[in-house]
Amino acid sequence: MVKGIVTDIQRASFHDGYGIRTTVFLKGCPLSCKWCHNPECISFEKEIMEYPEKCIHCGKCSEGCFSGARVVCGRELTAREVLEEIDEDRSYYGNDGGVTVSGGEPMAQKDFANELIDICREQKISCAMETSLIYFDEKILKKLDFIMADLKIWDSGIHKAYTGVGNEVIKENFKKLNGLNIPIIARTPVIPGVEQGIDEISEFLKGLSNVVRYELLPYHPLGISKAKALKRAVEEFNIPSAEYMEELKKYAYIR
Amino acid sequence: MLTYDDRLKLMRETKIKHTFEKRTQNGYTDVDDYGTVPITDGYDVEPWYNAMDGRFFGYEGMCENFCRVIDAHPAYVDPMEMLCGRWRDMLENYRGDVNYLPDWIKNKSKLMDRIKGGDGCSRNWNEQRFPYDDLKPLQEKYNIESGIEGNSHLACDYRIGFSLGFGGLLDKIEKYRKINPDKSDFYDAEEKTLLAIVRFIDRHIEKTDELLKTEDRKEIRASLETMKQVCQNIRTGAPKTFHEACQWTAFFICASRIYTRDGAGFQMDTLLYPYYKRDIEAGILDDETAKFLIANLLLIDPHYYQISGVDENDNDMTNHLSYLILEAADSIDIACNLTVRVHKNCDRKFFEKAVYYLLKNKNGWPRFCNDDALCNGYMKNGVDKKTARERIAVGCNWMCVPGKEFPMNDTVKINIAKVMEAALFDMRNEALRSTERLFELFKEHLRIAVDTTAKGVNLHIDHQAEVTPELVMNLMMENTIEQGEDISRCASLYTVGVDGAGLAVVADSFGALQTRVEQEKVLTWDEVYEALDNNFEDERTRLILNSAPKYCHGNTVSDEWAKRLTDCWVESIVNQKMPEGRCLVPGWFSWARTIEYGSKVGATPNGRRKGEPISHGANPNPHFRADGAPTAQSNGIASVQCGYGNTAPLQIEFDPKLAADEKGVEIVGKLILGHFEQGGTLININILDKETILEANKDPDLYPDLVVRVTGFTAYFASLSPKFRQLVVDRFLEGV
Repeated sequence: MVKGIVTDIQRASFHDGYGIRTTVFLKGCPLSCKWCHNPECISFEKEIMEYPEKCIHCGKCSEGCFSGARVVCGRELTAREVLEEIDEDRSYYGNDGGVTVSGGEPMAQKDFANELIDICREQKISCAMETSLIYFDEKILKKLDFIMADLKIWDSGIHKAYTGVGNEVIKENFKKLNGLNIPIIARTPVIPGVEQGIDEISEFLKGLSNVVRYELLPYHPLGISKAKALKRAVEEFNIPSAEYMEELKKYAYIR
Repeated sequence: MLTYDDRLKLMRETKIKHTFEKRTQNGYTDVDDYGTVPITDGYDVEPWYNAMDGRFFGYEGMCENFCRVIDAHPAYVDPMEMLCGRWRDMLENYRGDVNYLPDWIKNKSKLMDRIKGGDGCSRNWNEQRFPYDDLKPLQEKYNIESGIEGNSHLACDYRIGFSLGFGGLLDKIEKYRKINPDKSDFYDAEEKTLLAIVRFIDRHIEKTDELLKTEDRKEIRASLETMKQVCQNIRTGAPKTFHEACQWTAFFICASRIYTRDGAGFQMDTLLYPYYKRDIEAGILDDETAKFLIANLLLIDPHYYQISGVDENDNDMTNHLSYLILEAADSIDIACNLTVRVHKNCDRKFFEKAVYYLLKNKNGWPRFCNDDALCNGYMKNGVDKKTARERIAVGCNWMCVPGKEFPMNDTVKINIAKVMEAALFDMRNEALRSTERLFELFKEHLRIAVDTTAKGVNLHIDHQAEVTPELVMNLMMENTIEQGEDISRCASLYTVGVDGAGLAVVADSFGALQTRVEQEKVLTWDEVYEALDNNFEDERTRLILNSAPKYCHGNTVSDEWAKRLTDCWVESIVNQKMPEGRCLVPGWFSWARTIEYGSKVGATPNGRRKGEPISHGANPNPHFRADGAPTAQSNGIASVQCGYGNTAPLQIEFDPKLAADEKGVEIVGKLILGHFEQGGTLININILDKETILEANKDPDLYPDLVVRVTGFTAYFASLSPKFRQLVVDRFLEGV
């Protein structure tokens, strides 16, 4: 079995997708969004996260840290090992809950993601994915019950400036994904001060028949402390005001 | 003209005002709100001590003091309400533990001198006549709450009272007095008790009359006139209408609360339904009035009422009144202990509506119990299905068959953290130390603790009638009046609940020792013992133990230990030999005693410092999982159910950050059903706004109507002591 590098398995996730879900965060992402809220999922390698405020200064770092000041981020697991944890919440999934393979960019570990999806399907557990759509693998994607995909910025130049990559391939993949007849939940993180072209994104998505809803997610700064723990440079954005979110509401929709 | 909505708003305002007045009079109270109203100026009771000062016992002592306290109670009639009657004071205040008395009693120095009188022995138990000095050392060693001096933890069968009324009960006493001429002490006391209740009603009739003299508002006059008529009808007559049944209940509750704080309600929807149906058909009641009356009854007392559930033929019992009761509770939205009985064929629409109110109001109600698991478990004690189906959740964590059972539930507990402490002490100097050896010693100490507990329980049952006969509750129990005996002597079922407390502390301790000492060898046994001795002077050692995988994380060694401890607990309890058809029934519960129990336990190998609170009920320790997954907590607690019809409640507080009309009802509904599907028994749940609870903890007075479910009971957050508020905040699941 392929081993994947998993950042975290979050049980009882209520806010992304349908029902009660277990979200499996795979480590590694080819994008580097300046507002990333999961910066620990950018590198494909295991990392140490440091929280000096928790340090008790025992001077025994080499013998193991138990205070939470130094935490290893990333576990190598097989799909079956992940399933053991997924299985724990089976009583709560019902008809619409299940597993979300997320990241990072889960398709960056596509063999592992594929095994994980297969193993969930074998167990009759509903499976979804959160992806940037920077990659497209029809064989894998069509096994999913629904897909949550981001279109963060309409203009490719600005997209590249803020995420490190242009968005032509993402737009193209959105169209290809629409052809698979799988429900798509499209999303845009709302970042004040960035010209995102949310009106154009919304218009584009309306042309895709399988986009069942378009969600606007307000930027939140939860990634900053994690980025600091990883000693990554961070850029802090303003949290969008309730009024601004209300103003943008007209672009979001549920079909 | 005042509408029902206007009146409810005013009633709610009065309730909030009372909450603050009670806090001024009583000090902080870490108990149920109980629906009491403040003490009035000039309120005074001269207790009659028939033993030495501070003590009154037996039929005569209890009866005389009950009469004195209830006779001192002024009538409570609020013209905004349609029902009258409230309680303010109870017998226990005159002979109870002086540490738990309300401030308004503590401020009466002469009375306090009398209450404190005597020789320092328990005031709720007659130790001169029924000593148990031989049990005390072991009770202290294992921090056993013995049940001795407990009372009222049983449930009345309201059908008895509804069918007879207070007059019918007096007739019943007369009838059986002739059959049992040697039981005159019993019958005299019961008769006097009943007459005192009738006097209490009469004072309400007088008060209503007085208010009518000055009341000009037409609709309120009409309401007061109806109230007066209802009271006149039921002072001796059996209730015949929905309104009368509600008012009858209100008066009975006041009496039984004053007597021994009886908290057990009844199956509200099915019991009141015949009255509701008859009145609706007769055109003398409409749904709006029925709802107002129920809201009024819930205001009078947040009793443990049940709604919905399954009958002996597996039929769902939800009726139209079940829905109205939820709507009524919503209309007043105060401290409330409604329990929704869930089962596999439950009315899904009703269940969703119940969950909706939990999310809409975020006031800790309703709570949910699992009929299937509880009934099947209880039948394992040799009880038939019909009886087991009647067993309802009438206390914080506890169940009872109304009218039949004498369960002592929630009055008998063993602090298993103390049991582990004894085992650790024994193993200290042994050559081969291991978690397996520790577990063997734990089992041996537990056996002794359970045996000691059983002796206390038996002493209590044998003599409760001579100490604290249940004079009020006896009126609605089977066999009592018929035989002239207190219920403690003539119950059909003696399934006595024994709860273990401190499960997570012990499971995590075993887990930490296995992980850090045996598997990883990060610490030695000597180092652990030294750290426990010096209360973790070395923080690193504490963190090594405390960071070990915890119970409720899922698939950890501590989860496995929790299951092993449960198996061992159940085995010890159910195998305990008991005389005369009595048996012990295992559960996990600490009630609100986590701080008190923790203060008696030294440092523990899970990294808990000496004196810190023990874990709550069957709950995990805080920070059991980084994502705070409620599903993980739910699974863990489902895996430690004791399986004999008593509960190991899932006490859960979290903020799903979802509105009722978004996914909230669906998500919380799935959590509840998922827990029950795995065998969970009772869910005491708080859905809270995290920001609100944190702000309220800083300044509770800014949130005067915020109610939290502390354990099984609800309380106004502003009434709780800072320590208790912090406990609720600490239980809040992080990371959701």
